[in-house]
Amino acid sequence: MRAVVIGAGRIGCGFVGQLLRESGWEVVFVGRGRVVDLLRRHRRYVVRLADGAHHEDVVVEGVTAVPFADAEATADAVTSADLVATAVGAHNLATVAPLIAIGLARRSVPTNVVAFENLLVAGSHLRNLVAVRVASDFPLDDHGFSGAVVSRVVSQRRWPAGPGDPLVFVGDRESTFSVDRGALRHPLPAVAGMVATDDYEAQLARKLYTYSAGHAACAYLGYLKGYHYIHTAIRDPEIRAIVRAAMAEGQRGLAARYGPTLAGTEADLDALVERFANAGVADPILRVARDPRRKLASEDRLVGAARLAAASGLAPAKLALAAAAAMVFCDPADPSCAALHRELAAQGLAHVLESICGLHCDEGLGKLVAEEFEALVAGWAEGNSLLSFERRLWAWAASSGEMVATADA
Amino acid sequence: MRLAFLIARQPRSWVSPVMPEVVRLLREWGVEVTLIHPEEELVNLRDVHVEHDLYVLKSGTELALGVAGALDALGAAVVNPYAATLRCRDKVVATRLLQAAGVPVPETFLSAHPARLAPLLDAGPLVVKPSRGSGGRGVHVVRGPDDLRRLPTGEPVFAQRYQERKGRDRKIYCIGGQLFGVKRVWPVRTYEEKLGEPFTVEPALRDVALRCASALGLELFGLDVVETAGGPYVVDVNAFPGFKGVPDAALRLADYIYAVAHRGAVPAFEVTR
Repeated sequence: MRAVVIGAGRIGCGFVGQLLRESGWEVVFVGRGRVVDLLRRHRRYVVRLADGAHHEDVVVEGVTAVPFADAEATADAVTSADLVATAVGAHNLATVAPLIAIGLARRSVPTNVVAFENLLVAGSHLRNLVAVRVASDFPLDDHGFSGAVVSRVVSQRRWPAGPGDPLVFVGDRESTFSVDRGALRHPLPAVAGMVATDDYEAQLARKLYTYSAGHAACAYLGYLKGYHYIHTAIRDPEIRAIVRAAMAEGQRGLAARYGPTLAGTEADLDALVERFANAGVADPILRVARDPRRKLASEDRLVGAARLAAASGLAPAKLALAAAAAMVFCDPADPSCAALHRELAAQGLAHVLESICGLHCDEGLGKLVAEEFEALVAGWAEGNSLLSFERRLWAWAASSGEMVATADA
Repeated sequence: MRLAFLIARQPRSWVSPVMPEVVRLLREWGVEVTLIHPEEELVNLRDVHVEHDLYVLKSGTELALGVAGALDALGAAVVNPYAATLRCRDKVVATRLLQAAGVPVPETFLSAHPARLAPLLDAGPLVVKPSRGSGGRGVHVVRGPDDLRRLPTGEPVFAQRYQERKGRDRKIYCIGGQLFGVKRVWPVRTYEEKLGEPFTVEPALRDVALRCASALGLELFGLDVVETAGGPYVVDVNAFPGFKGVPDAALRLADYIYAVAHRGAVPAFEVTR
């Protein structure tokens, strides 16, 4: 059995490739740049599964890779694969869809395509992108398209220190992923850790609105307090309390929408918070906080969770604070931040809340987020840090020239 | 990841909980931490090698500085940087650098003999300090000739114009570019008084702190600032102070040291999908 994994990054190599090889699949990666050269040369890499101060190195051997720039080889890999996986980031699916379409069109038997993209509609989104690239009479419905809910965090890719050293991916020990049983075609691929579920949307919502919401909240609040790592920020008692409360808000929304069994228990939330404290993955806040514009979208982890909570009758104050913190977040190296801040400066808070978050700034959840944002931005300047969220005590007061006018223009 | 702290063992009554907590956190995060107490060891200089990813220079003793200097010369990563710590340790050098950077410091005088300070007392009291001292040790307020006669002789005299305080003293701490202000009564008598009260550093004081950081090249430091009728004066700079009163000081320090060590240990560290 052969699988092609499009995307040789942290999730592609550090999760998907490892589980596929463990299950006896031949694995061909499609990637870009130096990583492809290294995989082709060494045909192996290491996944470091870290748990606090301890770790286990898993050597993934016998892999191959083709460069994405080689369109013919990429399409061929899709044509000859018994399973097509993507792990390219949701915003890159449109780039890879045309080559998947070419590869599928050449096939004589159907296959399954699984998008490991942490996106609510990843499977159907990718299917739609492929559909516009194949002939109108192409039997696309013969092929399965599913998203995948990935449990593992893979925080780092480490380049080899010396010529003979392998590429290393660092992540935690979580080794399961859920796929949408109804969206795949039989026979389902046999992969270690795969759980085929009939309530895929609910499973993804559960991950997105508890784990991912808490992870993002920890990153944005940690940024405001000046921390560098998730495992550090979560040890700040004030941040821990806000993150835990934000996750509880998301959980309450899930319970109202999907029922208490799926939403989980208090103990489940505590276990998720403990995962954030795993220093072994050394997850940088700038990585987790990256792309705030996407993470603030109306169905995504923060606003999506808050909307669900609000729909259950709750005022999700902590999720609103986390969303406001995401709007303040500023990493000069992150184009998403730059775009968000340009929009805030040019078109104002009300417009951004409406266009990105689907919220109205003068009512309900939108008003909560707007109030938190105004309170934060009043003291914020790049490089400043909060000493206390409760007291809104900033480390220093910016001079008038340093204030960033991100409130309503 | 391997870290070493060059650290002086303090009397139990002095021990701040901050540094033990920093070490505990780093160890909990999987960092191998070695505590080196140079004063308690017989150091064979031939055995001094770079064996750690980062050396944390907490101690300001001559012996610790010597060991840090040797490690620095051998290519070790040291925080604070050895050269910056050395500059800060010498009040003559540090004060002149601060003056040159436009930092408000009291008028400062040097002399080989205390008696030469006598004419200066007409304009008001002086504060005489050891030029390489720290922790308030050996500091004398000199108000008249009798005080001058009681000063130790045989050492260079470093004297600054005494500044009449207005309100509580300010401590400005810096952890890797992040500033933290703490207000304290003076003199402090209890540990609680040392913790003081955090405050938001105003723009003028922040400008002073940034000038100090730039002039001295320190990543971790504390400024003693007195508020006077004529404005704030920086009366002391400490490389790697105790950070008492900084909210979540141990966590912030451990986070910063971890980040510095991580970058050093993993040069190819990259954030990608």
